[in-house]
Amino acid sequence: MSDVPLIRLADVTKVYHLESGDFVALDHVSLDIMENEFVAIMGPSGSGKSTIMNQLGILDVPTSGELLINGKNVAGMTNLERTHMRRDIIGYIFQKFYLIPLLSAYENVEYPLILKYKKRDTTGKAAAVLKSVGFDSQMSSHRPNQLSGGQQQRVAIARALVNDPKILLCDEPTGNLDRKTGFQIMDILTGLHKEGKTVILVTHDPKIAEYAHRTIQLEDGRVVES
Amino acid sequence: MKDIFFDLSVRSVRLNFLRSILASIGIVIGVVAISSMGMLGTNMQLSVKQQLSSNVNTIMISSDVVRTTSTAGTPTTSQGIDKSTLNDIRNSAGQNDVIPIHRTNTQFTIGSTDGRGSIIGLDPNDITKFLTIDQGTNIKGGSDALVGPNIASNFNMNIGSRIKIGQDNVSITRPTVRVAGILAARGFTSDGVNTDNAIIVPDTWYTDHYGDKDLYGQVNVILKNIDTINQTEAAINDKVNRKTDVIRISDASSRLSSISSTLGTITTFILAIGSISLVVAAVSIFNVMMMSVNERVQEIGILLSIGTEKGEVRRMFLYEAFILGIIGAGVGGICSLVIGYSVVSAMIGNTAYFFLPESIIYVPYGMIIGVIVCIVSGLYPAWRASNMDPIEALRAE
Repeated sequence: MSDVPLIRLADVTKVYHLESGDFVALDHVSLDIMENEFVAIMGPSGSGKSTIMNQLGILDVPTSGELLINGKNVAGMTNLERTHMRRDIIGYIFQKFYLIPLLSAYENVEYPLILKYKKRDTTGKAAAVLKSVGFDSQMSSHRPNQLSGGQQQRVAIARALVNDPKILLCDEPTGNLDRKTGFQIMDILTGLHKEGKTVILVTHDPKIAEYAHRTIQLEDGRVVES
Repeated sequence: MKDIFFDLSVRSVRLNFLRSILASIGIVIGVVAISSMGMLGTNMQLSVKQQLSSNVNTIMISSDVVRTTSTAGTPTTSQGIDKSTLNDIRNSAGQNDVIPIHRTNTQFTIGSTDGRGSIIGLDPNDITKFLTIDQGTNIKGGSDALVGPNIASNFNMNIGSRIKIGQDNVSITRPTVRVAGILAARGFTSDGVNTDNAIIVPDTWYTDHYGDKDLYGQVNVILKNIDTINQTEAAINDKVNRKTDVIRISDASSRLSSISSTLGTITTFILAIGSISLVVAAVSIFNVMMMSVNERVQEIGILLSIGTEKGEVRRMFLYEAFILGIIGAGVGGICSLVIGYSVVSAMIGNTAYFFLPESIIYVPYGMIIGVIVCIVSGLYPAWRASNMDPIEALRAE
């Protein structure tokens, strides 16, 4: 593990220009996350959790300050470079799963591979990853709306993992699941962390945050505890 | 390679099957309108051209000296096209039919009714090359004649009626011809042979009674191919009018070209009317594509956030427009054949030209235009989808 942080936020500010006036969602946030950390981000709603996740997920760029991911300055990248970075080094796991409704479970997992290699997967990797998260292979031709929440989240995790990302960004991954299933999903994430992934988790739930090794508290766009 | 974005588009079309089909129907109508209007115009042009060129494929040659005519029995020496000129014309006319024509005006009597009209002397073998016999037969005997339909009905002539030719004069016995056949109406012709009020007699009978042996008032050259009119005229002119102007050469092809260009304008006009329906179809495709984009905002957000390139999202929606276009154009193409055929047969009454390349080409034209219209209508929706902010899009319900 190198000493260079995988993610570095230096004095990052994000301002949204609203009709009612400017809204500062992140206020001079500085933060380092090292490779293979398991970080939980907590805070009340409106504290900037989603904004920071969007920054870490390269879905958005800071208004000011520097955001370096994997050694690269996000603000200096072209749209296409950001797209490729999202595809190759970040895996997203959402509260609402966000599977592609028109694709089967298997195809949802295969999809990032197609994006990356511009061809259908013939290596069996999609099926292998799907199996590794405990998804029943008999249901791989089901569409997302035919699956339970827990199954959908497993598919979503498999989709996030299939391109071997360095970072897993989990936005309330257990928020839409019952407690038991939620813990199963957390076990999977813990396992992935042990395999070397950097896991960043946003949650309300202190029980879930306990899985992380470090908790970052946000309040009004500022880091109050790290 | 099977493109997953194409798969996604197919699935989206299938998911919204009814809506997609309804939008495609617009394209079907547009394709049918363009194709059948185009085919209608072309068939009209071809058919009118054919009707006209039965007249205008004729080169008319007359002596450059105005000639005077005589009445029966009293021939006068007059200028006309002589035998050697005729041979020169035959030699330079190539494979085309050369028809020497004797003609004058005469009085005649049928029963006790007197009349006046043209009398035309033709080689019986030449008659069927440009005239149609409606009743009876062609001239067989030396004193057989054919009569035009107007003369026949005005004088109540039948096959076998006898006509006395020449001015009624007690001192001489007028020659008589027997009606062997009645010609079909020709109306106003542009080959200079107006037969509706004429009596056609064999050339031998004509020269026996009017003289003018080997001296013709007019020679017509009937072209096998209308496109060779200029070169044939030039060949005849070079040969016959080498030293001095012996003959005058004229034709009615300029009339054909002006009518053709008028019909071309009409075709363009009806095509333009047909394209209005494609504009309407374009709007409905645009509408459906916008609905598809707006309904799939969250899905677009997912695609963009997990690393789909903008170009790939654009492609997905353009495929969708393309699929609608292909469905519309395919069905439209088939319908065009059926409807186009019916329209052409109902409005022109002649489908002989329907399957000619010039006509049938409008089906693929219409289909291609239909597909292009779909893709163009899909451009903005696809652009809009690909330029969504993934964060905003994900938040949409």
